[in-house]
Amino acid sequence: MVRKYIALLRMKYIEMLAYRLATFVWMTGAITQPLITMFVWMNIHPEESESFLFYFMAVIFVERMTSAWDVWELDREIREGTFSNLLLRPLHPIHWAIAENIVYKWLFLVILVPVWMVGAVYWPALRPHMTGSQIGWFLGAVVLGAALRFLLSYSCGLLAFWVTKVAAVYGVIDVISLFLSGRIAPLEMLPPQLREWSEWLPFRYMISFPIEIATGAVRAEELVRGFAIAAGWLFVLAAVLQWLWKAGMKKNQAVGG
Amino acid sequence: MVIRVSHLHKSFRVHRREAGWLEAVRSLWRRDYRIVEAVKDVSFTIEKGEIVGFLGPNGAGKTTTMKMLAGLLHPTSGEITVGGFVPFEQKAEFKKMMSLVMGQKSQLIWDIPPMETFLVNKAIYDIDDRSFRQTLEELTELLDLAPLLDKPTRSLSLGQRMRCELAAALLHRPQVLFLDEPTIGLDVHTQENVRRFIVDYNREHETTILLTSHYMGDVAALCDRVMIINYGRLIYDGELSVLTEKLAPYKRLEVRFSRLPNISWDEYGEVAEMEEGTVVLRVARETAAGTAARLLERFDVRDINIEDPPLEEVITRAFQEGVYGS
Repeated sequence: MVRKYIALLRMKYIEMLAYRLATFVWMTGAITQPLITMFVWMNIHPEESESFLFYFMAVIFVERMTSAWDVWELDREIREGTFSNLLLRPLHPIHWAIAENIVYKWLFLVILVPVWMVGAVYWPALRPHMTGSQIGWFLGAVVLGAALRFLLSYSCGLLAFWVTKVAAVYGVIDVISLFLSGRIAPLEMLPPQLREWSEWLPFRYMISFPIEIATGAVRAEELVRGFAIAAGWLFVLAAVLQWLWKAGMKKNQAVGG
Repeated sequence: MVIRVSHLHKSFRVHRREAGWLEAVRSLWRRDYRIVEAVKDVSFTIEKGEIVGFLGPNGAGKTTTMKMLAGLLHPTSGEITVGGFVPFEQKAEFKKMMSLVMGQKSQLIWDIPPMETFLVNKAIYDIDDRSFRQTLEELTELLDLAPLLDKPTRSLSLGQRMRCELAAALLHRPQVLFLDEPTIGLDVHTQENVRRFIVDYNREHETTILLTSHYMGDVAALCDRVMIINYGRLIYDGELSVLTEKLAPYKRLEVRFSRLPNISWDEYGEVAEMEEGTVVLRVARETAAGTAARLLERFDVRDINIEDPPLEEVITRAFQEGVYGS
């Protein structure tokens, strides 16, 4: 398996280099929305500018590190029939997607960490104040968030076996997650009822949770509870994915040819 | 026996919509479905090392059958085993012993050179370094790949891409090869090369090959045995020569004279074509040799040629009339 992953990572890396411009546009494009949102909030609450600056820098970082585009890929591959090529090979197609995620997120990491560090030199508000264990929990929560978003996106993508243009379904989920994951505003600013829900839904654990750990907003007992809920969703989504896969294989029409 | 198919059926549920925008609105809440039976009660077996041509008009069920054989589609009913495996279970061991090449679908990764796809396949199919090197060397020579390996796939011509496609499919030395229209869109010269490669490869490695093609040249050059499918049913399975005899019980007699005699040809056969100095006659199979002898004896014949009618004609007749004269 290690050899297979090395080969896939290498290939995805070369492929990414072939799409240099697209990757760059994609990267910077994704930063625009949180930046604008940040300026809006700074305008509304100028006295809290510094904490918004840190929060949204963290949103940019965590959002990129956990982003998942698999639904669009699967939608296209299944609809156009190119998915058959992956199915014919003796390796589950999901590994191609995982390898791609690793390669792109590695690139985001390599770009975003220096950007953050340079930024921290000029704006003290960007300097994180985290203990060693906090950093560990933060990184763990980012990986968990990436896994959750990946599973959700890939599961939605598998719906393409039943419906065409399945990305629309994901669009609806994405709008909900915009609010409940903390991308539009820190979750503490949500009405109490929504906040309560957000703790039990998976979206918080995709973006907000790691940031809350970084800002120190999560206390020790909440930390354990948060990881437990996130892990629960991880199992649920993995089971859903597996079920969709099995049912989808029976439904597959292997279009084209 | 490498491939065994018995009583195979496949039906699809297809959403039906009439044309027109009123219908389009209606179909938003009421969807009519109809069942399309793509493959009906198909049974056959293929032995190790055989090359079998799978023929039929567009939409006859060839590709659907092939996709079931390769494990991409779940049969509605019936049984398939390929090399002892049940294809739709999609076991890794099964995938390692077969390959499906689709002329219209590329397995090569589009924006990077073919060599990168080969390396990925090497890892995925667990090919060790030595056999990879050997196989690649052999395929590079047979298919003349050397100048293509490091160019991005998208910049290759159709023929170049097809050659790389075949190489990618054969790196893991499959024992069973499904070729779906492998020569589609290729020029005559490249078609010829691909055919020669398939024949050589089959002879060398005893690979079992099932091939669909619209080019009768492919079939004539590659297959002793053909299966003909139409409207989802297998209507013929047997030797190509027997099919020809059955459907075209005549031979073409092409005779070139020094001077075309001005006679009635009825006693020799039916005139198919007549040009200056040359007559093409349709003659009953059994009497072809005798007729040729008589012509040689009676006239000043410069050249004479006895051949089977063109395969296109035979196959078209099979599609239209059925094989058993039903």
